[in-house]
Amino acid sequence: MDTETERLVKDFTSVLDELTFNSKPIITTLTKLAEENISCAQYFVDALETRINKCVPTQKLYAFYALDSICKNAGSPYTIYFSRNLFALYKKTYLLVDNTTRSKLISLFKTWMTPSEATGSPLFETSSLGKIETFLIKASALHQKNYQSMLPTPTVPLLLADIDKLTILTKQRLVKAPTDQKLNIKLQVLGQLKQELQKGKLSQAALRQVQLQLKEVFSQDQQLIQQQYEYEQKTQQRQQYQQQQQQQHHQQKRLDGSDSLGTNESQKSSSSTPIPLFDNMTSLGSNVSSLFANTTGVLSSQKLDVMEKANKESKVQNLYQSLNNLGLLYKPQNESIVALYDKIKPNESDISAKDHEIQLPPVEMLQNIVLDCKAYFANVNINISNIPSLSFSQENLTNPNNVVLNNLIHLLYRAKSNKCNTCGKRFGNSNDEKRLLSEHLDWHFRINKRIKGSSQVISNSNTGATAMQKNIQSRNWYLQDSQWISFNDDDITSTKNIVNDNDGRNRNRRDDKWKNMGDNSSKIGHNPSSSGTDGTLNDGTINEDILREAKVSVPETNVDMTFKCPICKDTVGAVYDEDSGEWVWKNTVYINGKYFHAICYYDSIKNNTNGDYSSALQNFRKLIK
Amino acid sequence: MSFLPGLTEEAQVPDIYIDVNEVHTQILPMGTLWKIKVPSESKMSIKILTGIAEIFGTELANNIEYNFQNWNFTVYAVEEVYLEWKGTDPHPAVEGEDIIPNDSAKNIYNLHFALEKMRNSTFDGPKVMIIGNKRAGKTALCRTLCSYTIKFKSYQPMFINLNPQESIFSPPGCLSATPISDILDVQLPIWGQSMTSGATALHSKQPLLKLFGLEMIPENRELYMATVKMLAEDVSERLQRDALIQRSGCIINTPPLSQLDDTLKELVEIIHDFKVNLVIMIADESNDDDMAQFERVSQVIKPFVGDFLLRLPRLTGVIESDDTYERSQQRNAIREYFYGNSHTALSPFSVSIDYEDLVLWEPMNLLDPGSNEVSNTSIDKLELRQVQITPSVIQHALICITFADKHAKANDVSKSSILGFALVTEVNEKRRKVRILIPVPGNFPNCATLLTSYRYLE
Repeated sequence: MDTETERLVKDFTSVLDELTFNSKPIITTLTKLAEENISCAQYFVDALETRINKCVPTQKLYAFYALDSICKNAGSPYTIYFSRNLFALYKKTYLLVDNTTRSKLISLFKTWMTPSEATGSPLFETSSLGKIETFLIKASALHQKNYQSMLPTPTVPLLLADIDKLTILTKQRLVKAPTDQKLNIKLQVLGQLKQELQKGKLSQAALRQVQLQLKEVFSQDQQLIQQQYEYEQKTQQRQQYQQQQQQQHHQQKRLDGSDSLGTNESQKSSSSTPIPLFDNMTSLGSNVSSLFANTTGVLSSQKLDVMEKANKESKVQNLYQSLNNLGLLYKPQNESIVALYDKIKPNESDISAKDHEIQLPPVEMLQNIVLDCKAYFANVNINISNIPSLSFSQENLTNPNNVVLNNLIHLLYRAKSNKCNTCGKRFGNSNDEKRLLSEHLDWHFRINKRIKGSSQVISNSNTGATAMQKNIQSRNWYLQDSQWISFNDDDITSTKNIVNDNDGRNRNRRDDKWKNMGDNSSKIGHNPSSSGTDGTLNDGTINEDILREAKVSVPETNVDMTFKCPICKDTVGAVYDEDSGEWVWKNTVYINGKYFHAICYYDSIKNNTNGDYSSALQNFRKLIK
Repeated sequence: MSFLPGLTEEAQVPDIYIDVNEVHTQILPMGTLWKIKVPSESKMSIKILTGIAEIFGTELANNIEYNFQNWNFTVYAVEEVYLEWKGTDPHPAVEGEDIIPNDSAKNIYNLHFALEKMRNSTFDGPKVMIIGNKRAGKTALCRTLCSYTIKFKSYQPMFINLNPQESIFSPPGCLSATPISDILDVQLPIWGQSMTSGATALHSKQPLLKLFGLEMIPENRELYMATVKMLAEDVSERLQRDALIQRSGCIINTPPLSQLDDTLKELVEIIHDFKVNLVIMIADESNDDDMAQFERVSQVIKPFVGDFLLRLPRLTGVIESDDTYERSQQRNAIREYFYGNSHTALSPFSVSIDYEDLVLWEPMNLLDPGSNEVSNTSIDKLELRQVQITPSVIQHALICITFADKHAKANDVSKSSILGFALVTEVNEKRRKVRILIPVPGNFPNCATLLTSYRYLE
């Protein structure tokens, strides 16, 4: 890639990154760029494909629009390049996006299938388009199956009700458009269908078929009505607007001295809001997650719900009125229990009433408390040493033992009622056990902080240098047999200090060191800092362990994380220090701008018999503290 | 080739509707086992919402998501359990017998509390040896017993694995002894991590390993028994020094009986070496073969343990599986040793060394068709032989690094402790260089190494 191409591709990518909403200018810019630089086609295609793959699902569609625009305007070679991965891209996107976007993707796909006027063939290679088509058919078939299974089982009365509703709907439309021949035919067909159904000779499968077709007709009608409704609303708005204009005009006139009165009466539009469609239909409309947005109609389910509710309320009110008029309603007397309850019942809006409510803990918690108590009492008078049925014998082993099943079993579980939320380990209720639990929880907290802390560094780092700071860990070498024999596992499980920081591990790091491990084995397991109060031995010399522990953090300017000790010419590599969370050089001092092995430096000043030995030693001691 | 994903689109369309993040719920009635198979290519996670559930004796925390991969295991509902699970496989449970009553539980509890009573009354804890056939549930029983032991009191039982094909806290090919000082990792078929250099979510364990190196015990019985003896010596020394482990006792897992010599002399030796005082044989009363075998075993070992040979029926939770599964578990353990797992990622280190710097020994494989020493009884079968390095011999081999010096004699190498394992990733014959993966960053240790029969291709 020469620099020119590189620049172009960079431009293209940066414009592409801005495509976070459906923006015509951006897509046009992209298309132009693509048209004018056919030589970079391959790179543009790569960039766009990456974009589609990487960007958030909501933005994928726009990237597809850009792809579409480029292919339709620039044509070959883009169409050829895109054809290669088109199916995978399309499928992946389709599966990730929501239903609305899916339907948009489908309409987009439909435009690809139409042969272009120039070439007479579809936009992309037929093979990849074919794959998408089969995919879509399968996806929709699967969806259709789900959809069908959610419909209620068709019964003749149910279908008859549906037909009636549809007939009313059609008649309403016929009132508005009396000349529409199609509506008349539709009414006739519906009538015939009703008769057929009433004969009651149709099989279940046929009923299902009828049901599906009816649904289809409904959704079409809904769509029509919705369009009409929107149209009428628009005209209404326009009329209102015109009226306002007129009013202003009139007012103007009045100000001008003219006396004519404007028609202030707002013309009520004769438009009727579409009546809510079938009850089961509306609930379905909101439940079915549609792969194809238009199968359940255009009316948003929310709107339908509101209308349906209003409709029901008015129906109930009508019913109440008519029943009341006929004297069929029983009204409770003033002293009846219902009336009393109404009086006593606290007002729902009264907040003080809520204060008196007692919030019970969840059932699960109450159950736990009961079971814990049971477990505790089950073991109060049991001493495991005094149970004869626990001696080793074939019968005791294989026969059910009631003491074990009713009493002892709780020792493993609820007798220790405090279960760690993180690892499930159980702790009892004595003071000792409670202290252990709190130490255990502290330990989890510290460990999790360290594990998390290290991953945070990873996520924050965008350069290789800072990525080095993450808590890299590796398997330790095993202990030598003699060390293992004298090892105590309490060193691992101690929750107070974290064993991984002990120096036995660091000693493993350098191969010349672990060779000494056999000799030093007695040192494993106890902390070197405890070997002397401040590491200074009586003769004024410094304990070698302290020297080994001296550390200098690696400066950020250091690239390869190593330095060469000027005294022994040995190269020193960095290790990760868990205490400070930094990469450090161990056994190292920093003196006058140079790094030395602490031991080498110490040896050299010790062997230097000049008079300033003690002051040099003092300075040095300060450095390593 | 239609089983490969992506080659046939027909196969793919239904798959796309398997939602990996779909949360399934499951109720396990009290006292039932839920048998789960998670093959190597799928994943599964389980979250206990209410109730007490355990996996091989280790209780699961509630409302924590546990992840499983490449493992067959059982979830036991101690109380009624309500749980949520997700997974790439819509039907992870073993077909036909996914939720079954756990008939073994009462036996295991009986055994555990009998052991508990013994620990209560003496400072020299029980030394239990579990024997039985393949797929009888020996390892599951050991794991459950270990977990129960650390649950009520702060005991530290020593778990001893004498089955080199089983990899517990170690790569395969080893015999091991591990003090179980804290809760096991329910998510790991290898029971838990051995020590690492950084922070791990649970306390790691510190195992002692002895390398057998071959796959099957019949390949060199003498070597196997010598390895057992070396392990037993170190274990008994540790027990003498560590009163807590001494009191908690040992739980010993053994190879399947079919791997042992017909005379069962190995069992007798193990009983002697580890001072075993209780032998549990897993054998079904209803199974004639099992009972015949039980008779044979009791004739041989009754003189040594007396009445302390008891029989336990085959565990109900045993999931039938084949050698492929066993292999995948071994591969898992090798990968785990170098790279850790999804919770604890480890960083191994790749080094390149000359042919000359790799001193490689190998144990004698008497069943190897190439060896003609089988009939020759006069040779020392424990002797190590130096390996001529050729790509075909060491490519992808798991090798064991000993503490012995590079120039040490064969005898010293075989007696040496194990430092760790390394993996040959590349052999360059022209440049006479070997690229080796070691767990710890640094130079390749200046030590003698042993070739194992295990190969691992990344």
